[in-house]
Amino acid sequence: MDPSEVEFLAEKEFVKIIPNFSLDKIYLIGGDLGPFNPGLSADVPVWLALNLKQRQKCRILPPEWMDVEKLEEMRELERKEDAFTPAPSPYYMELTKLLLNHASDNIPKADEIRTLVKDIWDTRVAKLRLSADSFIRQQEAHAQLDNLTLMEINTIREFLLGSLNCMYKLRSNLQPGATKGQFGDY
Amino acid sequence: MFIADIKKDFYEVVANQRVALLVAADIDGLCACKILQALFHCDQIQYTLVPVTGWQDLSTAFLEHKEQIKLLIKEDDDLGVPTYDDIFRDEDEEEEGEGSGNESDEGSEPSGKRRRFDEGAIERRIERQRAKRQWEARRREILFDYEQYEYHGTSAAMMFFELAWVLTKDTKDMLWWSIIGLTDQWVHDKIPHMKYVSDIATVQRHVSRHNHRNEDEENSLSIDCMRISFEYDLRLALYHHWSLYESICNSYYTACSFKLWTLKGQKKLQEFLADMGLPLRQVKQKFKSMDVTIKENLRDVIEESSNKYGMKDIRIQTFGVHFGFKNSFLASDMVHAAAALLESTERDENDPTDNFIKALDSLSRSNLDRLLSGIDLAKKKLIAIQQTVASCICTNIILSQGPFLYCYLMEGTPDVKLFSKPLALTLLCKYLLKAFVQSTRNKRCKLLPLIMAAPKDVEKGTVIVVGIPPESETSDKKNFFGRAFEKAAESTSSRTLHDHFDTSIIELKSEDRSKFLDALITLLS
Repeated sequence: MDPSEVEFLAEKEFVKIIPNFSLDKIYLIGGDLGPFNPGLSADVPVWLALNLKQRQKCRILPPEWMDVEKLEEMRELERKEDAFTPAPSPYYMELTKLLLNHASDNIPKADEIRTLVKDIWDTRVAKLRLSADSFIRQQEAHAQLDNLTLMEINTIREFLLGSLNCMYKLRSNLQPGATKGQFGDY
Repeated sequence: MFIADIKKDFYEVVANQRVALLVAADIDGLCACKILQALFHCDQIQYTLVPVTGWQDLSTAFLEHKEQIKLLIKEDDDLGVPTYDDIFRDEDEEEEGEGSGNESDEGSEPSGKRRRFDEGAIERRIERQRAKRQWEARRREILFDYEQYEYHGTSAAMMFFELAWVLTKDTKDMLWWSIIGLTDQWVHDKIPHMKYVSDIATVQRHVSRHNHRNEDEENSLSIDCMRISFEYDLRLALYHHWSLYESICNSYYTACSFKLWTLKGQKKLQEFLADMGLPLRQVKQKFKSMDVTIKENLRDVIEESSNKYGMKDIRIQTFGVHFGFKNSFLASDMVHAAAALLESTERDENDPTDNFIKALDSLSRSNLDRLLSGIDLAKKKLIAIQQTVASCICTNIILSQGPFLYCYLMEGTPDVKLFSKPLALTLLCKYLLKAFVQSTRNKRCKLLPLIMAAPKDVEKGTVIVVGIPPESETSDKKNFFGRAFEKAAESTSSRTLHDHFDTSIIELKSEDRSKFLDALITLLS
């Protein structure tokens, strides 16, 4: 999967906005949205929120988890634990990037939030690498990882599966009597 | 068409149609265009952008699009325009300089006559005819007054910002563009100082409104957000992106006050720097790498010293923008950069549309490398202007022709290609006049206007001629050369092209140069 596809899926998440226009309920294939009244908050998917924000028709409210203290706690928890702690949101990385790029004036302390989210991401990806490394070293057959988000899985998926394939080929060629082994580039 | 309420009469009419945007090639027009583009994006109005460089371009574009479009928006820093009613009413009302950048469909000629069909008494008819003749005479008189002088009204970018504000869709980006439009008028000497100061005050209100909206101690904004601040900064062109020494040598204010084309002037400059206690090594370094202790009080120190050397207005009120950690620009920097890009003669295939798009891009925050390349071009342009001024003064090629001063740039002059463009030539003209006024002893010559000619197109054999009003402290920047050029061209049947929106800039065949000048001399004396 391409990271942009993951971002596309993330845009389906709901976020609160405060519109400055009024519109009746709209009926879309994915669900109903609205009605919109100026000054009253409404729940819309992120793709619509960003479009309205760029057209200066709304103000985006930061999601609940996007708060400096909460993120600091999560970061500390993540650093303490060996396993993965529950992520702030299943799409926390993409949402942070989208919201902070387009609506940073509506989000207080945007710079600190960016730093904190990056820290959490770095810790989790480091744990993932460590876990993949030990998986291969111990030649396990299966593993279970909880609380991973789609973006994190996506970063390691191609590499991990590709390298497992290579290792399988290598191992199968080590069997005695395998005259058809491809020694080729190895 | 003149309009009173910009939101109702203009925006709401335009909102549901497909719009053609014809933009003139100057920075104010570019900024107004950007603001309007941003508004159109918000409301998803379809538009076509057509850059035009003169009346001919305008008419071709109009004819091309005539079939599809009913309403045209032409933006340029237009001539000062009295309001509609003032021309066509009989009472005497004061003329307000309501320059707006808007004119709509050329087809609708304003007509104030009302025709009364009354088959009745002959006396009434005679009475009416007399009134009509009087009215026509007055109309001709007013139109002549109107067209006699050319001057600039309020910046088009500022007018569009007001529109955005009325629609409550104004953003800091739009505010910054309107500031650039206003500064362009000041840099290219299109508006008098008082108007500039009052416009700055208007803009300052918007700036403080935007700043108050977001700045809070607990919830400070991200560093990437744009911050506009009022600066009472030095009048040295591009000095933040150059070295202080280079900037002093190449800004017309300081160069003319010190008379840097003479040896004495150079010595005076060294004295000036020594007086402030600035070591030469520091001053010749890039400004960003200068010692922080020196930079701290630089503005005040320079102001004090320059008062001693007779430069009372070294500081000027302007605005600066900061975004990200290292990007900070003054409005005049951006004007110089965009103007240099708009008229760049760097490459051989000089497509004016290409340059227009590049200059337009450089005004966005996301195209920093374009802006920086523009700043480099602007530095080269300023250096070229300064050298040309120095050589013109030293070789005395400015001649007094009686009612005006005249200067012709020969074809072999270095960088003469740069001066085939109207904006660059106007800047050169302005600097040259100021330098000449400083260097001449003849009291009468100091009050004369200047006409400058430079080769424009070598194959076609044309020159571009620019006239600027005389240098004075309280000038209202009214330029009468437009009409004068037209009349001189008519009387000598010279082959001229009055294409530019600014009527004081024309193109002329080189062979007709001398008889055109003679006609001008007789006309103006």
